[in-house]
Amino acid sequence: MEKIEISNKQLNEKYFHYKHPSGLNIYLYPKKGYSSIYAIFGTNFGSINNKFKIGDSSDVIQVPDGIAHYLEHKLFESEDGDAFSKYAKTGASANAYTSFEKTAYLFSCSKNFEESLKILINFVQSPYFTEETVKKEQGIIGQEIKMYEDDPEWRALFNVLNAMYNNHPVKIDIAGTVESIAKITPDYLYKCYNAFYNLNNMSLCIAGNIDIENTLSIIDKELKPSKPTNVETILPQEPYSIVKDKVEEEFDIMSPIFYLGFKGKSDNLWMSEEKAAYIDIILIAVASKSSDLYSILLEKGLINTASFSYEHFEGPGYSSILFSGESKDPDEVAKIIREYLSNLLDKGLDEETFIRAKKVSYGSYVKEFNSVSALSNEMLNNSFNGRELFKSMEYVSKAKLEKANMYLKEIFNISKSSLSIAKPRG
Amino acid sequence: MITNKKNVQICNGVNFTCIPNEKFKTSSISFTMFLPLKEDMVSKNAIFPNLLEHSCERYPSLTALNKKLADLYGASVIAGADKIGDFQVLTISISCINDKFALDDEKIIFESANLLCDLIFHPVLENGKFRESDILQEKRQLIETIDSEYNDKRVYSKLRCEQLMCKNEKYGINKYGTKEQVEALSSEDVYYAWKNALETAQIEIMMIGNNDYGLIVKRFQDEFKNINRENARKIQTEVIRSCEKHNEYKDMMELKQSKLVMGFRTGIALPDDEVPAMRLMTALLGGTPSSKLFLNVREKMSLCYYCSSNYNKNKGIMLIESGVEHKNIEAAKGAILNQIEQIKDGDFSDEQLESTKRYLSQMFEKVNDSISSLDDWYVLQSINEKINTPEQAIEEINKVNREDVINAAKKLTLDTIYILTSKEEN
Repeated sequence: MEKIEISNKQLNEKYFHYKHPSGLNIYLYPKKGYSSIYAIFGTNFGSINNKFKIGDSSDVIQVPDGIAHYLEHKLFESEDGDAFSKYAKTGASANAYTSFEKTAYLFSCSKNFEESLKILINFVQSPYFTEETVKKEQGIIGQEIKMYEDDPEWRALFNVLNAMYNNHPVKIDIAGTVESIAKITPDYLYKCYNAFYNLNNMSLCIAGNIDIENTLSIIDKELKPSKPTNVETILPQEPYSIVKDKVEEEFDIMSPIFYLGFKGKSDNLWMSEEKAAYIDIILIAVASKSSDLYSILLEKGLINTASFSYEHFEGPGYSSILFSGESKDPDEVAKIIREYLSNLLDKGLDEETFIRAKKVSYGSYVKEFNSVSALSNEMLNNSFNGRELFKSMEYVSKAKLEKANMYLKEIFNISKSSLSIAKPRG
Repeated sequence: MITNKKNVQICNGVNFTCIPNEKFKTSSISFTMFLPLKEDMVSKNAIFPNLLEHSCERYPSLTALNKKLADLYGASVIAGADKIGDFQVLTISISCINDKFALDDEKIIFESANLLCDLIFHPVLENGKFRESDILQEKRQLIETIDSEYNDKRVYSKLRCEQLMCKNEKYGINKYGTKEQVEALSSEDVYYAWKNALETAQIEIMMIGNNDYGLIVKRFQDEFKNINRENARKIQTEVIRSCEKHNEYKDMMELKQSKLVMGFRTGIALPDDEVPAMRLMTALLGGTPSSKLFLNVREKMSLCYYCSSNYNKNKGIMLIESGVEHKNIEAAKGAILNQIEQIKDGDFSDEQLESTKRYLSQMFEKVNDSISSLDDWYVLQSINEKINTPEQAIEEINKVNREDVINAAKKLTLDTIYILTSKEEN
């Protein structure tokens, strides 16, 4: 098996990447002194992969919204019982999640690791969907969807995505709707499974108290032969223009919640690692607690320290900057952020702010090496977006102000921004 | 696992604990004050940790302070108020990367520790009290925090149930108090509350990661030399062991999903010997994905996405929470009570019991791998008569047998049912 060691001297950290003959990418990160292990097995299949072609076939398959998430729920059931009851024998805590661009199955444990790993590898490779089991899940997922429909923050996020994106499926709720999931059949689930759950399209990442040789031999034994399948997701053309600049929805809440999004240009791939590292630094400079913008908003009583946040929201074909939080006057928040940014675009970031932001970004990377779950999830993300932990850190340390100011202009276009408000009824 | 925990008594009722561990890349120091939960003090107390968090004599504005934190590679200060049993728990803590990762040989940990002391002991004062402008800012933010509890319906329904159930006990007091109480706060009130807390609270200072604590302890000792700690005292939580009949409450809102919360008196609270049995019983009932509530109310009956039970060992109560369709509330209630009856009747397998023990044991063991879990684990126990390591907690759980679990279940009495449901009945 091809083995690559990835290390960083300054942090005294290293991990290993193996390319299994089946096509599976394996990442192993032994952590000294830790008693627990976190393992995650993921496929590059999320809510945005709702239209695709398989192999050389020209047939375009369109699947119901929410199917990746539905599949995640149903994969826990195999013909010989459900995965949770198998994990009950080992004591691991197991879970799974579906995001816009991936689905991941995970467990963490401090004992019986080998058995738990076998369970993970086996159930993810053993789909079992029948009319009856698929139907049963509709009640459970239906309640999950309704729970999110009552969640003003979640709704405000999807409202801003719908205001920014014309066609890109990132605007569709990950779990779909009660109506869309009613259309899901075993046949659809098998179609998606066969297309995306082939080992070429998957990664297995483990961090913690592991023995490399032993772990590899278990993985090797448990993997089922997998036909290399080429699956191509078809993403629609997304214009740079936004749909609308403001959207509101009412909820039974006391204080309004907002999302202000700045849409970026993007092609249908992940952006470069360097650019992502720059955006990280820029956002710290612009909106972190030490920024001028933050103190202006706070002084004016427009945001609070408990809820204000910002993020670079990105994936294949979408990249935007989101500011969010609670505010009694979201319109005023949006006005101030837009004015502040348009002013900043003219004069650029200053050296002192930039250097400070680089330091903070570096510190946030160092913190990540504390946690076996953070590391495993990061390795999984990176296996799909082509980035690497230590390399990202390197881009941060090498970052230059001029280039940051160039990217600053690219990511904030005032005319491409939308405000979403979840507001109290009445 | 932790054999090298060190304790230093700073002064009467102030204890310093250090848990050194080289495997972490960061260190943290937390300062926690335990005070009696009292109607007339609760808001005065709840507000001052946030006030301390945002400035000090040396860094008199939020921006100045946050720039300093950014210079310390993004060290972060977190402050907040909570309640544990009849204690109001006020915390202010700092975490930072370790000195060996500094790029310019800065003494990050020592500087962070000193900064924390500046924040706790040397706030910005004006005419011998807190600055009016700071008080106004924090009052606004605390009111928004109280509002946000209402925004999140899962949080809100749990709080409502606790509040209604314990309306005649200290525990029924909201950890922040009410909006009206916050509104009425004066600068003198808050100043007095801060002074009172430093003089009378039980205080636990916890340092994790870094081993070099001599100078840090000295700084705390110096600070406490100026504080009269003669009146520091211990308090006890009132525990109501059972109830005659239950009350049912219903609130109406416009919602897609109803929330059902059931509150029980467990008859068992710290320092009772049966606490581990009640803990295990609660996990068997609804604390894991192979628990009775998960398997029956969710998986078999498809009534909900979540249905879980939670034991509060300080207060001796257990809450069961679920989100269900309006029309299924009665069905869910019946199904939940039925599962409890089954445990009382011994209707669970030895394997179910053993698997719950394995699950809990590994949860406890994983505490050792996270700074924040370690901090929570030991700080929250500091008010107890006996402090357990995770390993001792595992031992206790493993000693519990089938009869103990049945007996624990038999002590449960239903006290309060809280339903948050939609205005339109459908």
